[in-house]
Amino acid sequence: MKYTLLFLSGGSGSRMQNSVPKQYMLLAGKPVIMHILERVDQIEEIEDVVVVCAKEYEAAISLMINQYGIRKPVHFAPAGITRQGSVRNGLTLVNNENVIVHEAARPFVKVEDFKRLIAAKERNATFGLSIPFSVLKGHGCVEGLLERSELFNVQLPQKFETRLLKDVHERAVAENREFTEDASMIYYYHPDVPIKVCEGMDYDIKLTTRIDMLAGEQIYEDVFSRRK
Amino acid sequence: MSTCIITGIGSGIGRATAIMLANRGFYSHYALIGRNEDEMRQTQAEMQKRLPEGSTRLYLIDLAFPERIPELVAKIDAELGDIGALLNIAGYTDPQSLLTTTLESFELTYKVNVYAPFMFMRECVKYMRQKGGKILNVASTAGMTPRPGWLSYASSKSAVISMSETLTAELSEYGIMVYCVSPGRCATKLRRRLAPDEDPSTIMQPEEVAQVICNLVNPNEHCLDGQNIVIRKSIKK
Repeated sequence: MKYTLLFLSGGSGSRMQNSVPKQYMLLAGKPVIMHILERVDQIEEIEDVVVVCAKEYEAAISLMINQYGIRKPVHFAPAGITRQGSVRNGLTLVNNENVIVHEAARPFVKVEDFKRLIAAKERNATFGLSIPFSVLKGHGCVEGLLERSELFNVQLPQKFETRLLKDVHERAVAENREFTEDASMIYYYHPDVPIKVCEGMDYDIKLTTRIDMLAGEQIYEDVFSRRK
Repeated sequence: MSTCIITGIGSGIGRATAIMLANRGFYSHYALIGRNEDEMRQTQAEMQKRLPEGSTRLYLIDLAFPERIPELVAKIDAELGDIGALLNIAGYTDPQSLLTTTLESFELTYKVNVYAPFMFMRECVKYMRQKGGKILNVASTAGMTPRPGWLSYASSKSAVISMSETLTAELSEYGIMVYCVSPGRCATKLRRRLAPDEDPSTIMQPEEVAQVICNLVNPNEHCLDGQNIVIRKSIKK
């Protein structure tokens, strides 16, 4: 089964308090975005990549793709105003029957992790990690209880049937509904479609704040560097 | 078995290393880099006594033009394939005091000693990163201790040490190990320019440095990358 990687790189980096969005900052001496592109380049099942980014970064990303010798075809789609809009824009360029959705701000995914997701027999799957801390409902004051054992932390990458993902995005636009990620959207419109939850990785953090970049250097050293 | 690229094979440490490696059987092909064809042919002939026919190929280049290296490495990959090791051994020196060092001399030293290894590493990594490999850079003890009159050479070798240490971490994920050796006084043509009055028979010989290099590029060596390994000989007095 073949896949297209829909790779979200539209973040502006506002929470990083940096003029350069986090996906273009250096992590372990390499632009954050290139960590995943280099690894995906080794995965046979992924045929091509759709990078969703702000137009002004296309030339810089193209240059890096060339410098790093990425061999897979890479297409560009414009970032949307919201994450959901970015996925929708990217989907217009996805021609494979299956799509893997990932984001550049999550550089700590191994080749084996992608392969584990691909190997799941369900065509729709996400990574998920159990929540190790206590949770409650509320905004400023406690408004309700949540059962931690019923929850999990949604991690990317995720894989979906392209036709199904395009369908739910069209419906969400028509109904003006926003979702924070795509497994939720599919479940909302098609609760009968099984979405496998693969055991997530504690190192698969999303780089959001400056402290994440500091932690990220340590994660890279511990998980990806071969020097021990 | 893969291809090993060696620079500076016409004489000195490069020549001794190339000939010694031919005996070790670590690699199936050798791309021999230099600019003096007659000297290179002598090294190649020595190597071929120990290797199957066609195992070595000469590539002439003047490292004063490092911008030509990408094309050269692409050619090596096309002709020999599977680049698995790079040994940056070629070196240049023009010892001068600060006030007599010309920009041209300083630039030439850096082109051969710093820019050329940088370009070779950058280009080779494009091919090596799929399977991993080994890079070895020859620096010098001159890069670690101040030597008045050796400004361009000593500072260029400091750069080689720093590049090696930096890239050890950066290339680790690819399975590429980066080694750096800093020989002390060694009886080479380059040493002759730095210390013309020295009796070469009293100091370390190129074969002794080559021995260490061959041990490091042995595929079974996994522990000594990422550090500046000083090679000095204990001399009986």
